[in-house]
Amino acid sequence: MSDNYEYILKTEHVSKRFGTLEVLKDINLEVKKGEVICIIGPSGAGKSTFLRSLNQLEKITSGKIFIKDELFLHRENDHTVERLPREKQQELLLEMGMVFQRFNLFPHKTVLQNVCEAPVIVRKEKKDEVEKRARDLLSKVGLSEKADEYPSRLSGGQQQRVAIARALAMNPEIMLFDEPTSALDPELVGDVLQVMKELAQTGMTMLCVTHEMGFAREVADRVLFMADGIIAEQGTPEQIFTNPQAERTKNFLNAILEA
Amino acid sequence: MKTGFFKQYSRQLIAAAVILVICIVLAILKPAKEELMSHTSPEMQKMIEADASSSRKRVTVTYNDLFIINYASLSTSGAKVMSEKYVGFVGRVYPADEGVMKVTGQMVNYTYRMLGCRENLMHGAKLTILLTTLTVIFGVVLGTLLALAKISKKKLLSGAAGVYIFFFRGTPLLIQLFVVYFTVPGVFGFAWRDLFSASDTEAVYKGAFLAALIAFGLNSGAYCAEIVRSAIQSIDKGQFEAAKALGMNYFQTMTRIIIPQSVRRMIPNVSNEFIMVLKDASLVFAISLMDITTVSKNIMTSEGSYLVFIPALVIYLVITAFFGFIFDKIEKKFSVYE
Repeated sequence: MSDNYEYILKTEHVSKRFGTLEVLKDINLEVKKGEVICIIGPSGAGKSTFLRSLNQLEKITSGKIFIKDELFLHRENDHTVERLPREKQQELLLEMGMVFQRFNLFPHKTVLQNVCEAPVIVRKEKKDEVEKRARDLLSKVGLSEKADEYPSRLSGGQQQRVAIARALAMNPEIMLFDEPTSALDPELVGDVLQVMKELAQTGMTMLCVTHEMGFAREVADRVLFMADGIIAEQGTPEQIFTNPQAERTKNFLNAILEA
Repeated sequence: MKTGFFKQYSRQLIAAAVILVICIVLAILKPAKEELMSHTSPEMQKMIEADASSSRKRVTVTYNDLFIINYASLSTSGAKVMSEKYVGFVGRVYPADEGVMKVTGQMVNYTYRMLGCRENLMHGAKLTILLTTLTVIFGVVLGTLLALAKISKKKLLSGAAGVYIFFFRGTPLLIQLFVVYFTVPGVFGFAWRDLFSASDTEAVYKGAFLAALIAFGLNSGAYCAEIVRSAIQSIDKGQFEAAKALGMNYFQTMTRIIIPQSVRRMIPNVSNEFIMVLKDASLVFAISLMDITTVSKNIMTSEGSYLVFIPALVIYLVITAFFGFIFDKIEKKFSVYE
């Protein structure tokens, strides 16, 4: 894989319809390597759907997705026009790690097994090497002593940090966070955000759908405000939070700040 | 894990240990076969001695040893018909020609025959347990494949699985057994017994056993398919998504993530299915396999003993209880992560 690319991730005219409901309308986004992008907006705006479309958990209705400047997928009217051969597609998809709102850890596997599973099974790496890396990652997220516990014995915040370690174990270049703290008790949010902050400092490319405005303000290079399936406004955190232009953004931020 | 097991089942285990100790004590106290034989009348003993040096036997000896109790029946044919029966229990030998001891002796004899104690696997309780276990294994494997076909997005595959399940659940098992045992060989021109060597005296039984296993397995597959399907569909959709996001393909997702989690949810239903199959296995009386039911029916017909069905029921209950316990244990073992 060549490292000479302009955008690590790019979408052109991405749209998604569920039946007659238009969830995404013509989304264009360009992401440079190392950028941290936070996506904010009211619920139902299509934030999660957009994120899930990027790693193929949702099939887009039309539009183009580029990964590392290569046309990954091109669909029109719910039909695939062009896409990479399956193997190549798989290879590029592995560049994206995903963290879910509901953690989705594998309950029948221990924390360590959760982290080691995919590198061993999918990447066919040697088990002892993966295990070493997994223990490193677990200590980075502050959970080395929980390696042999089952997820059900962990708090939500701990589970989410395991989920982050699990995604990182695949050595992705982009991390997608789908409201990673929304299902957590307020006192557990901080630990997860701290891990994400540290991850951002390592230069990881990140796309975070989040309601944590403080986090977005502090960590993001760019904030997207999505509403009704479009990117209504985007800019640096200062621009968005101190001087929003669009009416929708102003209303949304006012509503949040009042709460 | 080990200590957890003992803690969990302490009451059952203590009960089992007490029963076992009592049984061993009773077994030690039980009179030996020779003692039973020495109680026979002098006349009978003379005939037995005479038989030992003659090629023509006049005395038929039946000896049944049921671990804690034993039973001997001696009868002669020819000029002088004699019949003597004895029950040995806790150090004493009781004549069993009438009254309570007669019934006790009969029960020992019937139980012995229904368990198929001295016979091979094609007899009695051994046959029932073997057929049931193999059927359920067959059924679960087939059921898993059918369930995966049924939830598949390929219409042809899921349609075919749906038709299969509809057919096998919608027709009587006995007729399915007849179709496999009679119709299939009739149409394709073979006989089930011919699948085994002609010198094998049990070829008929083995052939019938194979036919029964196929019929029951195909039928159980349809029921297990629904068990597996509902277990798979009860798994959170997030598990599929997490596996996909980590790059696992369908096969990896199913075998490493989804099915292991479904197994625990299947066990109570598979346990139930096992008990259903155990009872359905009695249908093999229709193709003359010598299972518990057939043996009891034969005893009823040949000896007119209507009490034979009571030990038959007890045997079924003991088997059910035993396997219920095993399944319970397996379920607990799979629940460690919850």
